[in-house]
Amino acid sequence: MKKSCIAMLLAGGQGSRLYALTQDVAKPSVPFGGKYRIIDFPLSNCANSGIDTVGVLTQYRPLKLNSYIGNGQPWDLDVSDGGVYILPPYLGAHEQGSWFSGTANAIYQNIAFIEMYDPDNVLILSGDHIYKMDYAEMLRVHLENEAACTIAVQQVSLAEATRMGIMSVDDRDFITEFEEKPKQPKSDLASMGIYIFNWKKLRAALIEDENDPNSSKDFGKNIIPKMLAAGERMLAYRFKGYWRDVGTITSLWDANMDMLSPELINLYDPSWPISSRSPVCPPHYVGTDAKIVHSIVTEGCEIYGSVENSVLSSSVKVGKGASVLYSVLMPGAVVEDGAVVEYAIVGENTVIGKGAHIGAAPDGTDGWGVATCGPDITIREGAVVPASAMIYNGEEV
Amino acid sequence: MKDFHGIIFAYSASPELRELVSHRTAASMPIFGRYRVIDFALSSLMNAGIHDVGVIMQRDYQSLMDHVRNGKSWDMSRKDGGVRLLPPFGMPGYHSGNYFGTMEALNGVGDYIRDIPQKYVVLLLGSMCANLDLTAAGEQHIRSGLPITAICSDKTPAAPQHRYVPGPDGTVGRVLFYREGECEGYTSTEGYIIDKELLVKMMDECAARNLYRFHRDAIAEYLAKGGRMGIYLHKGYYMPIRSVDLYYRANRDMLDPDKRHDLFTPARPVRTRHHEGVSTYYGEDAVSINSLVGDNCRILGKIENCVLSTEVVVEEGACLKDCVIMRHTTIGAGAQLEYVIADKDCTLAPDTVLKGNEKLPLVIPKGSHI
Repeated sequence: MKKSCIAMLLAGGQGSRLYALTQDVAKPSVPFGGKYRIIDFPLSNCANSGIDTVGVLTQYRPLKLNSYIGNGQPWDLDVSDGGVYILPPYLGAHEQGSWFSGTANAIYQNIAFIEMYDPDNVLILSGDHIYKMDYAEMLRVHLENEAACTIAVQQVSLAEATRMGIMSVDDRDFITEFEEKPKQPKSDLASMGIYIFNWKKLRAALIEDENDPNSSKDFGKNIIPKMLAAGERMLAYRFKGYWRDVGTITSLWDANMDMLSPELINLYDPSWPISSRSPVCPPHYVGTDAKIVHSIVTEGCEIYGSVENSVLSSSVKVGKGASVLYSVLMPGAVVEDGAVVEYAIVGENTVIGKGAHIGAAPDGTDGWGVATCGPDITIREGAVVPASAMIYNGEEV
Repeated sequence: MKDFHGIIFAYSASPELRELVSHRTAASMPIFGRYRVIDFALSSLMNAGIHDVGVIMQRDYQSLMDHVRNGKSWDMSRKDGGVRLLPPFGMPGYHSGNYFGTMEALNGVGDYIRDIPQKYVVLLLGSMCANLDLTAAGEQHIRSGLPITAICSDKTPAAPQHRYVPGPDGTVGRVLFYREGECEGYTSTEGYIIDKELLVKMMDECAARNLYRFHRDAIAEYLAKGGRMGIYLHKGYYMPIRSVDLYYRANRDMLDPDKRHDLFTPARPVRTRHHEGVSTYYGEDAVSINSLVGDNCRILGKIENCVLSTEVVVEEGACLKDCVIMRHTTIGAGAQLEYVIADKDCTLAPDTVLKGNEKLPLVIPKGSHI
């Protein structure tokens, strides 16, 4: 059946800037904000926007992501004509095909999938952003302006602009210039990595770009500048709500801390639910000597110690006399009796041994940063993991 | 366990549950901050791989139907079989839709029972809280070669209950009806594994003689005629939800880590219908002591020895002691509550003071605004 718009979600990046947290899993399946994984946000936005066909492009460590997405039922995407599809790279006849060599190449390799739905437009999404957005409204603006491509943008500070893709626009918000990470930004409108393309035009651009040996097959670096140079109608769509890229340890930690302030982003909004596939656990238990202040706590947790300014995912255990401050504890993490975890991210099912000390409060030095323990690690009793440390599975600590 | 079929009796609601069952059955009562009572029967069946299950209902079943739906939460939404909700009037003309006893309820859905393709039927009460190992019970039933096995508990909850006293060979020697307090034998959970053939025979005999009670009529007669019955002893947590007092005790029991970990053993997960929601937020001045708290709550005041379901708001300065609060209830700032059971969708104005007693908790009916 013909669709007005389908979504393609780029989930194939290495996520190398999350280091130990993406050692074994793709970035979109990294837990976030207590109940969620990062991919819940774009998938829920799709479902809430009435986009019922989503292709998820994966290539690195996709096992957890695949089993997490399953048939898409938690996001109401288990529909008969459409639904959510995992699209790994594959070989065709004569062993033609390859790993995705760039974001544009990933879509190029899935032209056949997109054509099955014969869409008028294709929405391109990233798997590492936290935000609530009505893509239907963006599509309406895209169609109203007969744009070839509409790019969601957000106002940023000029300092941030030097690290992002920056658009200059005319008085009707049509894009006049696009610069990737400019040293001297001419505008403060940054691309959010969310694009709606007229499919016929994108298809032509992808095929042309694929044949360009000098192209790095990337939307930001190649496709968008080329379409702009060709004089296509490229529109900026201003988005004012909460939006965070969580591609680095610091930004992931920051965005988790934002979840303690519902005025920034309200996840409990019945008109725009963010859904997740979560195991059914009993309610969390708070012990007799426990203390929980300015924190979020999820089902299945057992708290006997002290938790302040922290985000606890499901089934986290905090032992007696243990202390968790300004930290993010992913599902199944265990902080044994007397251990201290501060300014840290602790991965899934990682055990912090008795009396161990993870991370440190900011000391004003440049070297300070959030300490990170990847998933499925055991930190020995009494071990000390300093600020900024990055502990991988397989290391002895 | 392909040879087993489950039947859950979800029609009963003891009058001693008072306001809590004014519009629902005991099986669909919210419990432990997250679950409905029937989740334990459904999960026990699911964990034994029993996917074909009939749920016998009578009245006030709207909340039950809304909870069970197509059974997907318990993997009981199947191509063949799966969960079937069985309202009354299964046999037009047989009765008025009111069941007076279990045998009558079974005869009310007689065609369904007769069509059960499996050899064995597991009968369970939808109003009990126990995480039963029905794989072990089923294996014992088959091994024994007996046509019926009673699922018993070694606990003695404070309510009149039937008891089975084992004879020298371990099978049922005597049955004691409606005994309260410590006593010989084992408490009947009123759950049974029974050969389908025997069940249908009992149903026919009772229908022919206008008898309607399962224990007093069918079981008593079966034993009196020399029929043998095995005993499967469940040694884990067991609580029948028959009165406000037992309901309150069950909730309080889950504050005990040993009882909680026993009922919610990872070996046999208890499933329930999934609810969308965020984690629970604790404010800057929140105090929480020895409590069980569901997702999606906002705790800004103080809670002690409480069980809070999802979407409960405890505003600043409110103080809750020894309370059970169901879903979507808001406790206003500065309110003082002790020994209160607040049903769903209540709103308690700021500075409300309500006190029940350990022996008689105060029940606030669903949807109350105080």
